Amino acid sequence: MTTKPSQGAGVSWPTLFVGMSLVLPLLGILLSGLFHDPHDLGNPLEDKAAPRFALPVLDDGKLLSLEDLNGKPAVINFWATWCQSCPMEHPVLEEAAREYGDRVQFVGIAYEDKKERLSAWLRQANRGRPSAYPTLIDIGGKAAVAYGVYGVPETYFLDATGTIRAKKTGPFLPYVDPASDGRLELRRIIEGLL
Amino acid sequence: MNSLLGHGLILLALSSATIGSILGFAAGRSGSKQGLQWTRRLAGTFAISLIAANVVMEYALLTHDFTVKYVDQVGSTASPTYITIVSLWSSLEGSILFWGFILGVYLLGFLVSTRGKHEEMTGYTLATVLAVGTFFAFLIAGPADPFGAVQPRPDSMHTGPNPLLQNHWLMIIHPPALYLGYVGMTIPFGMGIAALLRGHLGPSWMGATRRWMLIPFGFLTAGVVLGGWWAYEVLGWGGYWAWDPVENASFLPWLTAAAFLHAAMLEERRGLLKAWTVVLLLITFSLTILGTFMTRSGVFNSVHSFTQSAIGPTFLVFLAVILVISVLLVGLRMHLLVDEGELGSPLSRDAAFIVNNLLFAGFTFVVLVGTVFPLLAEAIKDVKLSVGAPFFNQLSVPIGVFIVFLMGVGPSLPWGRATSGEVFRLLRLPLGISAVLTLVAAALGMHRFWPLVTLFVALFAAIVALRDMVTPVQALMRRRSLSIPAAAVLAFQRGHRRYGGQIVHLGVALAVVSIAISSSYQTIGEASLKQGEVLTINEYQLRFEDSRNFREPHRDVLEARFTVLKDGQEIGSLGPRLNRYSGQMNPIGTPAVLSTAKEDLYLSLMSVGKGGASAGLRAFVNPMVSWLWVGSTIMVIGIIIAAWPARRRRVEPGEAQDDPTEGGE
Repeated sequence: MTTKPSQGAGVSWPTLFVGMSLVLPLLGILLSGLFHDPHDLGNPLEDKAAPRFALPVLDDGKLLSLEDLNGKPAVINFWATWCQSCPMEHPVLEEAAREYGDRVQFVGIAYEDKKERLSAWLRQANRGRPSAYPTLIDIGGKAAVAYGVYGVPETYFLDATGTIRAKKTGPFLPYVDPASDGRLELRRIIEGLL
Repeated sequence: MNSLLGHGLILLALSSATIGSILGFAAGRSGSKQGLQWTRRLAGTFAISLIAANVVMEYALLTHDFTVKYVDQVGSTASPTYITIVSLWSSLEGSILFWGFILGVYLLGFLVSTRGKHEEMTGYTLATVLAVGTFFAFLIAGPADPFGAVQPRPDSMHTGPNPLLQNHWLMIIHPPALYLGYVGMTIPFGMGIAALLRGHLGPSWMGATRRWMLIPFGFLTAGVVLGGWWAYEVLGWGGYWAWDPVENASFLPWLTAAAFLHAAMLEERRGLLKAWTVVLLLITFSLTILGTFMTRSGVFNSVHSFTQSAIGPTFLVFLAVILVISVLLVGLRMHLLVDEGELGSPLSRDAAFIVNNLLFAGFTFVVLVGTVFPLLAEAIKDVKLSVGAPFFNQLSVPIGVFIVFLMGVGPSLPWGRATSGEVFRLLRLPLGISAVLTLVAAALGMHRFWPLVTLFVALFAAIVALRDMVTPVQALMRRRSLSIPAAAVLAFQRGHRRYGGQIVHLGVALAVVSIAISSSYQTIGEASLKQGEVLTINEYQLRFEDSRNFREPHRDVLEARFTVLKDGQEIGSLGPRLNRYSGQMNPIGTPAVLSTAKEDLYLSLMSVGKGGASAGLRAFVNPMVSWLWVGSTIMVIGIIIAAWPARRRRVEPGEAQDDPTEGGE
């Protein structure tokens, strides 16, 4: 601001130099920012053995453990009745669970919830049909903590050896647009496990 | 139908902006009157078609035309009408369209106000504004198209706009105020570019630019404060400013715009700092684009990054073009903007203004560096870190205090030069009074260093501002033997800019004292209470009564009721809440606040135990927070007064021009 060029002088090189040396690094930093997602907390468990659990099944109270799933790829969906996108996601999971049948084991783990509410919720969501996969009750939220669940719904994908291969934060939603259709995305991830 | 109409209007806007911009630059270069005429027509077409496109979108929203992509995305037949109206700016595509609406309105205002005036400058100005308009029209036409025709999603998925935006009425007016601030900076930017391209900057163009800057500056001030107020009323951590990247993004152009408004006075009055003044215009506009980029690119982790969108790269290219062209233009053309006067002595208002500008620039730099530093750290060392409030506070408090001090010094000193005896005579009274009052405050129990210093400089600045408002009235009373009201009215009419400016200073003084005291003397209490138990904080007792659960259309609410007693007397009841929104596991609290002139009692609910038998409560006593809102309101009123168009008047011979800001218009 105190540069005072004499009359008639043309280009002010110092101004150009100072200006560019402020502007270009700033642009560079912002550009680098585009390649990082600040919301991406990562999945520290990726390619690691899935944390073990043994939780009561909603229907009969029998314990179901991680070992019971071994030998089959598994889809573990953390959800809750108070979660507002879960009702939209539920049919997507049901449909996929029926479609893959014995080849993939689907498991729901209910987070911070009550047995009665869960049963009522599932009855309504399944419209009288039996559930296509079991729902476990996560007492004290221990499994959720072990898996590092950040929000519900959140879904973990395990391969046949019980290793976590992928994680989806947020619901799989049935969109018409193929690019954002959760039904296709879910199948893409599962195909990678098989 | 709405889709088609919307697309048509946007294409019309895009083509008239593109052609108008090219034509405007050509007309600016050749001075062709006809070229300018056509540029003005195209600018008008651009403005009106964008405004019309917004009308079409509002119509589509109100009639729930879910075949329009944006309506399908944010619309809901369950939303109340006012939510439907404001959902225009609730999401990315709509807010960019709304951006176009505001630019259209500003542009029409500019076209009307420059009819038959400043012809040598308006060509370039319109060309620049239309170039910016071309970019935004392109965004609306392609990457962020809100008008796309879609197959509607099933009705159950039309859940309405982002729940956070429906949470509080402040959220309805905070974004438009900010937008009016951001977008309005486009006009003064165009005017600055015109000055560079013409290589000429006279007092009358400067005066016009200053007014066009004051309008968005007023809105930006309101927008920033409303954002802080919203955070305070909604987010529940007991404060109003967290140096969040996006908060900073709105504060940065505010700082440089404030610097400009002061530099412009020096330019108008003394013909100094011409190039620097124009540089401030360019920086301010660039910072508004940077702010939009920060909010919309998803690069920064912030409460504001509602959208993770693909337009980040497009915005960055635009920002790069603006910054690089600005630097080139300044480097190549600033030698033409030659200062006309000589800088006064270090003891003069001139010098105070220059130091003021250096401080504003330094402040801007500090905030900018702090804001982008996490990105730099991640790029270089791949570590995630955040620059916290302590960094910003440590640097901004001294700078802010110094700026407020100059706010008292500047208006006291004469232009040009002053002797040290004169300076002493002018400053001793306000300095003396504020020193005495500060000592009184210290005696009353205020012992911390920075709040006391802040109080001292704010009192000093306020006394100077008051004196500056009273002196012309006294002079008129003496000279013309007028009564107090008559003299006050006349003084105000003659110097409304001066009065506006000093009213802003009073507002700033009040606001900074409120900030200093509320942030230094906050009391925090925390407890887990069973029903009937009491948490005592200062002279308040908070008794937990009970809690209840209920459902609102867009959220589940858990509310705890507390009876508030002061010195054993029941004075009211407060119900802080926890709200659970769809798809979010962590509930969002809504605090309950009991505001008085002295302090706010602010309750934030942390948790509720099984069956509602116990509640985790965080209570704050925040002194003087209400005065921040009062001070900010005073600032906005002052800005409106300063921006009000001057009545044309004849200066009577022999009558000294009192108004320190009045140039040679």
